Amino acid sequence: MQPQVEGFNEQVALLGRDSSLVSIITRPAPSAGSDRPAIVILNTGIIHRVGHHRMYVSLARMLAGAGHTVVRFDFCGIGDSAPARDRMPPLAACLQQIGDVVNSLARTYSIPRFVLVGLCSGGDHAILYARNDPRVVGLVLMDPTLPPTLRYYFHYVLQRLPHARNWLSILRGRSGLLKMLTSHVGHRLRTGGGSGEPTLQSLQFSSHLARCYRTVARRSVDMLAVFTCVSARHTYPQQILDAFPETGSGGSLRLEYFPESDHHFSPPQARSRLLRVIADWAESV
Amino acid sequence: MNPFFLGTSQRRLFGIHTPAAARAGRPRAAVLCQPAGDEYIYAHRSMRQLAIRLALCGFDTLRFDYFGTGDSAGEPGDTDEAGMRADVVTAIETLRDLAAADRVTLIGLRAGADVAAQVAASRIMGAPDVIEALVLWDPLQPLDAAQLPVRSLTIVTQGLQPHEQASLAPGAAGETPAAVEYLPAPCPWIEEASTTGVIPVRVLQRIEEWLR
Repeated sequence: MQPQVEGFNEQVALLGRDSSLVSIITRPAPSAGSDRPAIVILNTGIIHRVGHHRMYVSLARMLAGAGHTVVRFDFCGIGDSAPARDRMPPLAACLQQIGDVVNSLARTYSIPRFVLVGLCSGGDHAILYARNDPRVVGLVLMDPTLPPTLRYYFHYVLQRLPHARNWLSILRGRSGLLKMLTSHVGHRLRTGGGSGEPTLQSLQFSSHLARCYRTVARRSVDMLAVFTCVSARHTYPQQILDAFPETGSGGSLRLEYFPESDHHFSPPQARSRLLRVIADWAESV
Repeated sequence: MNPFFLGTSQRRLFGIHTPAAARAGRPRAAVLCQPAGDEYIYAHRSMRQLAIRLALCGFDTLRFDYFGTGDSAGEPGDTDEAGMRADVVTAIETLRDLAAADRVTLIGLRAGADVAAQVAASRIMGAPDVIEALVLWDPLQPLDAAQLPVRSLTIVTQGLQPHEQASLAPGAAGETPAAVEYLPAPCPWIEEASTTGVIPVRVLQRIEEWLR
């Protein structure tokens, strides 16, 4: 059944090489006749394709109403998709599955251009995949991993100094900053300063991530970077520009800050604003 | 596992049918009634696991999203209790057809437990004849399952406060067998750094045992 509902229609699809990726494809009404890029929305961690507060359903329907074909799918082992049968490392498997979905949409609907959307780990998957696929012309990265900068540490300490419990944590050896620095040093020792085999956990200190941002910026991929106020990964809105200076050089980065929101965009006003921002940005891609 | 849309064009619901892995005897089937709101998101993984385990026990299952929730059509403002009850009825009819089963078991978590109990009590479609049994997992509302017209198992986990647990105690003179069991298992419907994604295996095992 593929019912028509107010400017878009939705269908269930099983994508991927084993037809194992449970997906919802939201298509514009046939009358829309648009050449807009297709949009692929990625899982946030282990949360299935609906997203926190049904955010991705609203986003998909809104973007389909504006003429985009949108797919929401679950990575293998997440949501309703069956676990992967092979023994590929998780990150490599996710990137392969994004490629499978992109190929499927390109083949089925003759769509040559794509935008990837992801929150948190979804944002990381998006930037890592985009590096190697020139069909990706846009990225929406919400609270992606960023490496800590000097200013990051300054803000981090400043925010925590007034709270007595943070001093207790330092004394007990449970300080988040100490853990981060220990992790950083450990990573450098393990990889000898190189990037090693990237994993989502090692991205924060990985030169691989910097290469991805650099490549994507040089290709002038349109990028919408969205940051909320509650994330251990960044402490100020411009951190992405300090961490990856090339992202701001081509004029293709739009930076949005949501100080009123948590990581999951729980406040309805924040979600409404996010949808407006994405719709406005997508219009220009 | 077969994801599909069910219902009508006016009230289109997303569902996933997991056929029984092996059948012995008459077809057995269970509709899984999801929680609502954020609890639905966090419990999704456990409900999927439950469906898989029940399939291995010979049950066809149908998980579905209420209208206005999950992947179903509609917006959150379209969801109300009467509509959720109607959606459960749609799911029952669909699963009876898919599984060729005369009767189905309803398994509800949180708001899903409340709605499942309401459907059983309402005698919609001659509920006592169509609904074989009820499993009510951490219901939201106080409930005396002994008054329901079908046999039931109420499962209470660590997620409920003592006064909520007490409100689920069965009355003295019920119509049908109604067991209430406390299982010290994590609750899958709360987001918590230490438990998100954890499957409450003891609960799933108990449901399997009780339904066998």
